Amino acid sequence: MRILIVEDDPVLADGLTRSLRESDYAVDCVNDGGEADHVLAAQGYDLVILDLGLPRLDGFEVLRRLRRRGSRVPVLALTARDALDERVKGLDLGADDYLTKPFDLPELEARLRALIRRGQSGGGSVLAHGALALDTAGRRATLNGEPLDLSARELGVLEVLMHRSGRVVNKEQLADQLYGWDEEVGANAIEVYVHRLRRKLEPAGVTIRTIRGLGYLLEKPPHG
Amino acid sequence: MAKPSTLRRQLLVWLVGPLAVLWSVSTVVDYDVANQFVTAAYDRSLLDSAIDIGRQVKVTDGVIRVDLPEVVLEMLVTGEPGKFYYLVTGPKGEYIAGHKGLPPPPDPETDKANYYDAEYLGLPVRIAALYLPLESGSMGSVLIQVAEGVTARADSARQIMIRMMLPQGLLILLAVLLVWYGVGRGLAPLTSLRREIASRSHRDLSALPEEQAPQEVRPLIRAMNGLLARLSQVLAAQQRFVADAAHQLRTPIAGIKTQTELALRQAQTGEAQAALRQLQTATEQTTRLVNQLLVLARAEPGAERGHRQQSLDLTELARETATEWVPRALSRNIDLGFDGSPNGTRIEGDPFLLKEMLNNLLDNAVRYTQPGGQVTARVSAEARKVALTVEDNGPGIAETEREQVFERFHRVLGTGADGCGLGLAIVREIAQSHGADVTLASGANGTGTAVRIAFPRAA
Repeated sequence: MRILIVEDDPVLADGLTRSLRESDYAVDCVNDGGEADHVLAAQGYDLVILDLGLPRLDGFEVLRRLRRRGSRVPVLALTARDALDERVKGLDLGADDYLTKPFDLPELEARLRALIRRGQSGGGSVLAHGALALDTAGRRATLNGEPLDLSARELGVLEVLMHRSGRVVNKEQLADQLYGWDEEVGANAIEVYVHRLRRKLEPAGVTIRTIRGLGYLLEKPPHG
Repeated sequence: MAKPSTLRRQLLVWLVGPLAVLWSVSTVVDYDVANQFVTAAYDRSLLDSAIDIGRQVKVTDGVIRVDLPEVVLEMLVTGEPGKFYYLVTGPKGEYIAGHKGLPPPPDPETDKANYYDAEYLGLPVRIAALYLPLESGSMGSVLIQVAEGVTARADSARQIMIRMMLPQGLLILLAVLLVWYGVGRGLAPLTSLRREIASRSHRDLSALPEEQAPQEVRPLIRAMNGLLARLSQVLAAQQRFVADAAHQLRTPIAGIKTQTELALRQAQTGEAQAALRQLQTATEQTTRLVNQLLVLARAEPGAERGHRQQSLDLTELARETATEWVPRALSRNIDLGFDGSPNGTRIEGDPFLLKEMLNNLLDNAVRYTQPGGQVTARVSAEARKVALTVEDNGPGIAETEREQVFERFHRVLGTGADGCGLGLAIVREIAQSHGADVTLASGANGTGTAVRIAFPRAA
């Protein structure tokens, strides 16, 4: 897994490089836009972390040239600005996600994993959550290696919750996920699925919290 | 000591001064004119009296006599009664009739009537003297002198003068009143301008209206508008500077943060970890401060943010923001919930600022509420308002401190939490820039804090 970091601040670039190397990614780092453009034209990467405010050639231009060359490599944009239009502009030009500085390292790593997963989609993948695992291609879940008896809709709800583990998922998002099966999935139906899931998962210490007025949240497992 | 000069006073001084001088000069001239006319008229009638007396002079057998019955004499009196004198003197200067001792004319033996001022019995008198040839021409002429007191003349002259002066005085009084009123009326545009400026909020640096002002006031308004424009330019530049500085700070902070988190993972000893945690906390505080500076720079008056204003659903925005805060709340074991209204919650606003306002409210609530506590964000549609409330059951804010917490860098003592004290100042600044009212109250059951922000509802 090869990642290119394009960041002109040496302290941040060094921090990012070392932490990603620690997670066993192969990391290259350049500190200006022109160099980034050259490197990206010459080599293939699995992911690019791109600062938008770069000297010489700014991140937007690097991104525009990258996409013009037909590259579909996932790009995570970093910006010190927060004007909404800048984000939109970055995404329009083909950034897949963005983070505003300063960010939490775990947050960055989670976004990276999500982008890489998206880049590899098609083959399906296994979502893991502590003792819980869900094979998105095989459409089955296991708890401590034991198969879990879940209906297709329960599995659908669990998949969304696991994808966004530790974050809130609202009922509309769950309903959207289930739309393929039912013509209309009411809020009550979702409550029923969540209730059933809870009954099956709670004995193993997996908790689905109800967040008042907002939705549900799959609590992060105690370790990693 | 010196009163500030007013336009009114200056105008009055410049108007009343010369008018008063003019009035005094005119008094002198008027008196002179009146006097001339009065003298001419009275002299004429005095001469008539002399002629009438002359008609009564008869010569019988060479003896000159004057036959003047009392009735005739009374008819001759034109001035004050009792102050009428006459004297008839013969050709040789012999006394014929009348009051002895009337002063003789200074210019004797002329044909013309002779008027002169003199004194008789200690009183000032006016005398008319007339030489009248006797019927038998050879005998010469008799001198007829008629005198009267001058008091009546002076009175008449004074009466005439007063009647001339009075309208002039009234005219001056009228001029003063007109100036007083006219200046007030003329300055009315300035008064309304003053009201317009006084009633302005410090947020409003837009140009003053020029259309209704009179030509003379326009340059003043234009100059003031120029000043306002320069002021808002300076403010905007200052805010851009703060915003730029905040943006510039973010990258090095990101570096510190990343390095700290990395070092924390690799730290071997407990002491190193403790030190790094402190560093992490400090970095987070710095981040918050930088973000809040940025928000203040944007929310303050003069910031160029007009184009960011849009119609938005406050429920949607609040739900989204509250959602982002759930992980933080859960990590502190706080039950964060949301209660929205399905419709009627659209307002006009800047989504970035409103989101930052909510971030601050939720951050405060989550930060200061004890673990196990509850925080609720609520959006409700009211008759003309859309109310956003963030309520917690934390320690609350004493009533005496409720106003102060809105001030910058104020921190509630004894809370021990690591806020930077800009949170509520930002909330209020953003609320004001949206025309919303902020109220701080106790939460449900009188415990905790409820911050309520009432926005005008979008049409």
